[in-house]
Amino acid sequence: MTPPVVDTAPSTTTVTDAATPTAPAVTPTVRAFLRHRRAWLVIGAVLVLGALLVLAIQGGARTPGPAMGADNPAPAGAKALVEVLRDHGITVTESRSYEPALAAAERGATVLLYDESGILDDRRLRELAAASDRLVVVEPAFGALEALAPGVRLAGAASGPVDAVGCDLGAAERAGALSDGQRLLTIDDDAADAGWQGCFRDGDFGFAVVAGPGAGGGELTMVGATTVFANETIAESGNAALAIGLTGVTDDLVWYLPGPADADAADAPTIGELTPGWVSPVMLLAIVIVIVVGIWRGRRFGPLVVENLPVHVPAGETSAGRARLYARTASRTHALDQLRIGTVRRIARVLRLPRSAELAEVADAAAQATGRDEAAVRQLLADVQPAHDRELVELAGELARLEAEVQRTLDPRAAAPRAPTSDASPDRDDPTGRRP
Amino acid sequence: MALTGRFALLVALGVVPVVVAGAVGAAEAWLALVGWLVLAIGAGVLDLSLAASPRQVALHREVPDRVRLGESVTTVLSVENLGQRVLRATVRDAWEPSAGLAGSNRARLRIPPAERRRVTLQLSPWRRGDRRTEQVTVRSAGPLGLWSRQATLAAPARLRVLPPFHSRVHLPSRLTRLRELDGRTPLLIRGQGTEFDSIREYVRGDDVRSIDWRATARHADPEVPGNMRLMVRTWRPERDRRIVIVTDTSRTAAARIADEPRLDTAFEASLLLAALASHAGDRVDFLAWDRRLRGRVHGASGPELLARMVDTMAGIDAELIEADWASVPGQVRRITNRHALVVLLTGADSPGSARGLLSVLPQLTSRHTVVVASVADPALIEAARARDDLEQVYVAAAAERGLLDGERVGAAVRRLGALTVTAAPHELPPALADLYLELKASGKL
Repeated sequence: MTPPVVDTAPSTTTVTDAATPTAPAVTPTVRAFLRHRRAWLVIGAVLVLGALLVLAIQGGARTPGPAMGADNPAPAGAKALVEVLRDHGITVTESRSYEPALAAAERGATVLLYDESGILDDRRLRELAAASDRLVVVEPAFGALEALAPGVRLAGAASGPVDAVGCDLGAAERAGALSDGQRLLTIDDDAADAGWQGCFRDGDFGFAVVAGPGAGGGELTMVGATTVFANETIAESGNAALAIGLTGVTDDLVWYLPGPADADAADAPTIGELTPGWVSPVMLLAIVIVIVVGIWRGRRFGPLVVENLPVHVPAGETSAGRARLYARTASRTHALDQLRIGTVRRIARVLRLPRSAELAEVADAAAQATGRDEAAVRQLLADVQPAHDRELVELAGELARLEAEVQRTLDPRAAAPRAPTSDASPDRDDPTGRRP
Repeated sequence: MALTGRFALLVALGVVPVVVAGAVGAAEAWLALVGWLVLAIGAGVLDLSLAASPRQVALHREVPDRVRLGESVTTVLSVENLGQRVLRATVRDAWEPSAGLAGSNRARLRIPPAERRRVTLQLSPWRRGDRRTEQVTVRSAGPLGLWSRQATLAAPARLRVLPPFHSRVHLPSRLTRLRELDGRTPLLIRGQGTEFDSIREYVRGDDVRSIDWRATARHADPEVPGNMRLMVRTWRPERDRRIVIVTDTSRTAAARIADEPRLDTAFEASLLLAALASHAGDRVDFLAWDRRLRGRVHGASGPELLARMVDTMAGIDAELIEADWASVPGQVRRITNRHALVVLLTGADSPGSARGLLSVLPQLTSRHTVVVASVADPALIEAARARDDLEQVYVAAAAERGLLDGERVGAAVRRLGALTVTAAPHELPPALADLYLELKASGKL
């Protein structure tokens, strides 16, 4: 790419005529741009302001709360139960971290523990169980069972609604039956000896609710599924009675869903502490550099130039399309007939036969000229029907050979067949006949 | 506004202070980052405010009016700085791609106030017609070269690219043939295609059969007996015939045969015929027609004829519409009422597309000598010969069908009393010129 030639010498210097007009600008000035787009700018500003206003009124975007959240009105939440308890004068305290929950438990409050992600470690579970007088564990995980009730194990989902109370737990007796969707727990003999009993037996599979003595002598109840407490299903069967019976015994209830702060990993250093202080700023700087380079390379040097191209159609398309049509429909006879007509016309022309000559005459004349068998030539030029593709190819080649032979017999010098049609200029071999 | 690579580099250099500050602490690193970005953007804003205005510029162009396709021209763009500051500009002249700009279209200029600089651009257009440029974009950098101001200025220019007329290489040989017909050595024998030229005195070497006895008798002076001056008649080829070239610019002209659109071949053939005929003293008119008159050259002669023809042809491209042949006789009648040679340059190769042409041919042939010139596709002839496998045989059959269609249309045209010329793209112009010479020699014009 050679750059355009630029005269650096001050040619025709100091043009003093002040009348030289500036070239009219196509690019609008900033002011003109703002004026031109005022309507859109106003609409955009109104939209942004409105969005901010709505955000301010709603106090932030409301994400769907956690499952079993005390203020979560979604189907998986437990706001219904909590509101009912509050209406009845029970103080429900939400807690997302361990220490307040433990403190409340030590004061004698009932604790509802739902540890969805298995955040609490064994030590804290035992500590909490020992401290609380009444602890309700909802959907205990394997680790929680190991820590709190070694003989109780998970036993899968219940087959349907369960109504066999089968224990002397007051809340269970009042409930009478539970809805579908329970999860089961089993109690082995050691646990039964230790005082664990199950309620709501589902055949031989297990129990939906298991109650027993806690580590500190308090009551420990395990409910297999959140179905009993969740907004969606609490109104079904005896779910509500069981839920209220378990949680509404004392005046204080701690609704404890362990949060990320309760995780055991607090001692390990974070990635942020391990990396040097400049890594994050440099990463941000890299992003800024990418943006700057993008603007540098992406800024267009003036508008695109439009080129109106004329329409050009390759002339061979019609012929190619017709050939594909023949091939798709396997019109062997038709295709061969086209070749035959061309061959017959050219042979007739070479042999100086009249245009009105019959096909038989042409065939006979060709046979005579080449010394071939008349019947065979007539067969080739008219009668044979190609039965399959290979025969078509053979016949087409045979036609070409016949044509070449006829021409060779008449003009032995012309080894190559001439162009089939040509009423071009008489001096086609003129040295100037081709353009540069 | 635009940024430069130098600004990107400046921002990237911020890594150094950030890392150095990071050795002290994370907060210091963040502080260094923000400080560096503020510094860089501040430098950019300062640079931008010091840059000369790209709008305070006057543009002057020197563009040649027209150029033949295949030739190169030099255009000059002068940029004049009307502002008060030094303009450090990159200038882009937005020619169409088909204007064939050699090299880059960007030029770096440094123009002090009230001075101008010339940018020379070499153009080699590769497409016929009007090649345009509408605007010039000026990007004015500040003294630091960090940020630039950019504006696009309207500076329209047009370069008309004429058809190449490659077939003029055939002209000398045809002119020689024409001269043989022509009266440079006046013909003494009356024949076809000649008209009476003059009566002059017999000189030795003249054919005695051309002596006009009646004229000799009239010139004999009765006062001076024996002073008999023999007079001979001379003849010359007929002159002042009319030729009307009608070029079809409809959809058939858009077909590209052997890498040349039919329309371009038609233009080449028209130009060669017009050049030859104007040398022979005939009057040539040119029409480009599809459903409306796309171009017309009427009443021009000599060098002006060719100049006007190429100028008219330059802007014409084929359109994808069906030609309205029914109006062609009317268009020809508007040019001349006398007998003329009407040359129709079209693509008569299939019965379907030639129906319109065939329906009006009788109207034309009843008054005029008509020639239908069309381009044959040499690829069809090639394809009709290759028969090695099944696919080739089908292609050959289709090509043969196409050739037969062309022949049928040609035969129909000849039956309606017109003459046909069919040849490959590069051979059509000389073929048409030869047909013209034949007609002239046999006095059929």
